[in-house]
Amino acid sequence: MNKNALVEFSIARPKFVLGAVLLVTLAFAAQLPRIRLDTNPKNMLPPTSDVRVWNDSVDQAFALYEDTVVVGVVHPRSVLNPGTLEKVRDITAAILKVKGVAGRDVSSFTTIDNVSAEGAGLRVAPLVSRIPRSDAELQALRKTLFENPLFVDRIISRDEKTTAIYVPLEKGANGKEVADRIREILTRYPGEEQYHVAGDPVARDTFGAEMFKLMGIFSPIAGMIMFAAIYVMFRSLALAMAMMMVAMVAIVWTMGLGIGLGFPVHIMSSMAPVFLMAIATDSIHIFNEFYFRFREKADKRRAIVETMEAVGRPVRYTALATAAGFGVLLFMEIVPVKVFGGLIVFGTIALRLFSFSLIPAVLAAVRPEKIGAAAAGEDIAVSPTARALGRLGALGAEWPKTTAAVGLALILLALFGVSRIVVNNNLVAWFKPGSEVRIADTVINRALGGTSLGYVVATAGKPDAIKQPDILRDIEGLQRHLEKLPVVGKTTSVVDYVKRINRVLHDDNPEFDAVPDAADTIAQYLFLFSMSAKPSDLDNVVDYPFQKANIWVQLKTWDAAAMRDVIRASEEYRRLNPIALELKPAGIAYFNLVWNHEVLWDMVKGFLLALVAVFLILAFAFRSFKWALVGYVPLLFTILLIYGVVGFAGKDFDMPISVLSCLSLGMAVDFSIHFISRLRQRLVETGAAAARDLAALKEALAWTAARPGKGIMRNAVLFAAAFSVMLFAPLTPYITVGAFIVSMMLLSALFVILYLPALIVLMRGWLFGTGEPK
Amino acid sequence: MRSLRIFATSLLTAITVTSPAAGAAEPSASDIVKRSLDTYYYAGSDMRSKVQMKLINPQGKVREREMTMLRINLGAAGDQRYYIYFHGPADVKGTSFLVWKYPAKEDDRWIFVPALRLVKRIAADDKRSSFVGSDFTYEDVSGRDVDDESHALVRKESLGGRPAYVIESKPKAADYSRRVSWIDAERWLPLKEEYFDARNEPLRTFTAEKVEQAGKYWTVTARTMKNQQSGHRTEVVFREVEYDVGLKQDIFTERYLRDAPSQWVR
Repeated sequence: MNKNALVEFSIARPKFVLGAVLLVTLAFAAQLPRIRLDTNPKNMLPPTSDVRVWNDSVDQAFALYEDTVVVGVVHPRSVLNPGTLEKVRDITAAILKVKGVAGRDVSSFTTIDNVSAEGAGLRVAPLVSRIPRSDAELQALRKTLFENPLFVDRIISRDEKTTAIYVPLEKGANGKEVADRIREILTRYPGEEQYHVAGDPVARDTFGAEMFKLMGIFSPIAGMIMFAAIYVMFRSLALAMAMMMVAMVAIVWTMGLGIGLGFPVHIMSSMAPVFLMAIATDSIHIFNEFYFRFREKADKRRAIVETMEAVGRPVRYTALATAAGFGVLLFMEIVPVKVFGGLIVFGTIALRLFSFSLIPAVLAAVRPEKIGAAAAGEDIAVSPTARALGRLGALGAEWPKTTAAVGLALILLALFGVSRIVVNNNLVAWFKPGSEVRIADTVINRALGGTSLGYVVATAGKPDAIKQPDILRDIEGLQRHLEKLPVVGKTTSVVDYVKRINRVLHDDNPEFDAVPDAADTIAQYLFLFSMSAKPSDLDNVVDYPFQKANIWVQLKTWDAAAMRDVIRASEEYRRLNPIALELKPAGIAYFNLVWNHEVLWDMVKGFLLALVAVFLILAFAFRSFKWALVGYVPLLFTILLIYGVVGFAGKDFDMPISVLSCLSLGMAVDFSIHFISRLRQRLVETGAAAARDLAALKEALAWTAARPGKGIMRNAVLFAAAFSVMLFAPLTPYITVGAFIVSMMLLSALFVILYLPALIVLMRGWLFGTGEPK
Repeated sequence: MRSLRIFATSLLTAITVTSPAAGAAEPSASDIVKRSLDTYYYAGSDMRSKVQMKLINPQGKVREREMTMLRINLGAAGDQRYYIYFHGPADVKGTSFLVWKYPAKEDDRWIFVPALRLVKRIAADDKRSSFVGSDFTYEDVSGRDVDDESHALVRKESLGGRPAYVIESKPKAADYSRRVSWIDAERWLPLKEEYFDARNEPLRTFTAEKVEQAGKYWTVTARTMKNQQSGHRTEVVFREVEYDVGLKQDIFTERYLRDAPSQWVR
């Protein structure tokens, strides 16, 4: 269990180590071609999860589709003109041929059924089977549309400028691919019309696809930025390449392992390369110390061994802390999160192994004269960065009370900000306001009843109950109650069909736009309806035994909170009215609510677990709970400040932020470990009696802030540089990730260098008094 | 080359066709379809049957319909009238339905809603809409015209022990793009039909589950239509099938729609 044996071996036989790593890397790389992608964010919850099983059973009971793409057609004056109607007809026909589209249930002017009174009879036909040409025919169509509440706000907007084609997708179809095909079709029908392709599957699958694309672009860019930054810091191409190589090898091993084990690369694991690259920056501490040592000793071999002795312990423990921070993900409910956690743990352990083998081997292999020139600048007395950092540390040490008081004030302010945090998530808002997805959604939501679809499933005690007049009236009451919510655009249920048939059978007399009084009448109406319209029309709203009714709730926003409002309003209605119906939410809007909720709280749970795990690692690393507590402060302070800002900025606490909070802990704690480990080493080395000799302590603190502090700053800057690329991403969660990590790294580095000295000086009696390890 | 193909074809025919007619010149595809339509939809001068229909959704949940169906043929042009009386489900008992079918134009349909004592005429553009919520269309129940589609004889093969012509039909305008039928080469009844959608993916499959002789007519007494895309299916059983019972034309009028003819509807 002698770590130095590995280091010694690597220095003695660098070529052997390099060769061995190369072979293993090739073995892992051989797995890469077997990559399988899973771009569907929905799969964050497995198909066996409660919400997906329930939604599937609702979909089956009511012959519904999980996902529907909505194509909006907007004409500046009115879509009710022969030209536009022809286009809608032809576009609909073309869409029917697209793979993945459930052709039998595509709804548009030319496919939707219309039951109307015609003379003394009934007429059942597609709304538009022949394109109306004359003004009289168009006027008749207008009348048909606007007198039927089932059409208004669904297939025609009140200002008649917008119509929609609803395109349900077969199970497993990719919404983005279908949307792309539809967009292709739409380009063939130019004119005054504007087309918009919207709907949850478009947003979700586009996001999934974009995310992969961005990862493909960002990982190399982040790598290049880091490479350049390392070069600027150390002026050595060889070293910069060495560090990048370590990161690349770790990425190949990790991704190779995941793919080799048969896991599809999901959205979470697609982020693994960027995270590993960032974690690899921890080896900067080795290079940092090596440069100082090499300058002092000018003996490369001794410099390497001494460097590893000095930083070996913190490097081991930071790796352990990072692994623990990600390791808690293995205890989460969500499978892709578990896989991600497991992979990063593996990658972190691999990186740590490289720190003691590959890096010394590379350092041993590099010719000394190449590093000599660069190392010349590494003297804390000469280096301007080191001097500035030393002064910063001294600032905290000299005025500890003021520093702490400022910190306390900031914490109070942050807590106030945190109290204003709103938990919410909106898939469409993950796109920037000017993006196609967002515009399409806005336009259609403004004109029609809403693109986000939720269901409220009303279940009665026994079969055939849905044909009872009082039950129908309860459902109608619930609909009116739900429609009072500003987020609800339109609701549809079996009641609307019953009322419609009642009216049509009574020669279109508006007095009969009501639920009839006898159950048999209702049964016969529904029977008549099932005999005339498309079977799915009825199936969509009642189940086979007539025990369940499905109320469609079209929402005007994708906010997860909107469906929460619907659920609350349903419960409220049930409380106020003693109804014999059980009400349960379902549908894609409900899925999104649960999905967000589960991922979010899983992550909050992970965050709390990580807090505990990281604390334990700190305590273990320092062999002291006191030091662990002190080391914890800059970390908590940073996180609190960031959440405070999130609260003040009015940004929703959404899924990406919750994921980040969880991930960031294991990475941000590194700085504390480095600082405290090296400080205590320094105190032992110089033999300073820190408890009594304040001047010696301050001196040691200034040294730590200047020398390992430079490593910390370098690490933070590298890390931040890598993630700053994300600030320029077209998807808002990336900007969030970028901003979050950049500020987290820079702030925590700053707080470690400023606040640790202040706290250590303030609490020196407590820290050094008792329980001081040897 | 050509003689070789003829030889091969006749050899194949000799193997697959067990009927005494083997070797005789094959009828054209249109003739086969015409004969099949006549046999399946026009047997006898009239017909009476109890029909039990089960609509089965993909979850296996069942809705049943119990009805009496009366049919009369009128003249050589192919006009027919159908009278359908629903015995169940209980809450729709008494609902009845009348179809006057004309081969050349849209059908006339009337429905009687007992709760309102109301007869309504139903104008429908679409013969291909679902028949009483089942997977059968109106057209499947009352027949299509031979000229609605163009037909080609694909091959002859045995299906479930019966010699059959395999015909591919392409409609001029319909919700399906093509239909492949297996037509019994001796009894002329359809044994199986496969419908394909615009993407040429299987849409619906018709299967004659049971073929029996009722009087002198071969009749498909159990049949299934399955929607291959939704997984929904409809099973239909014909019981007490009688032909040439002497139905009068006036039964097929609004008067009897309101007041079921008890002699025939029991």
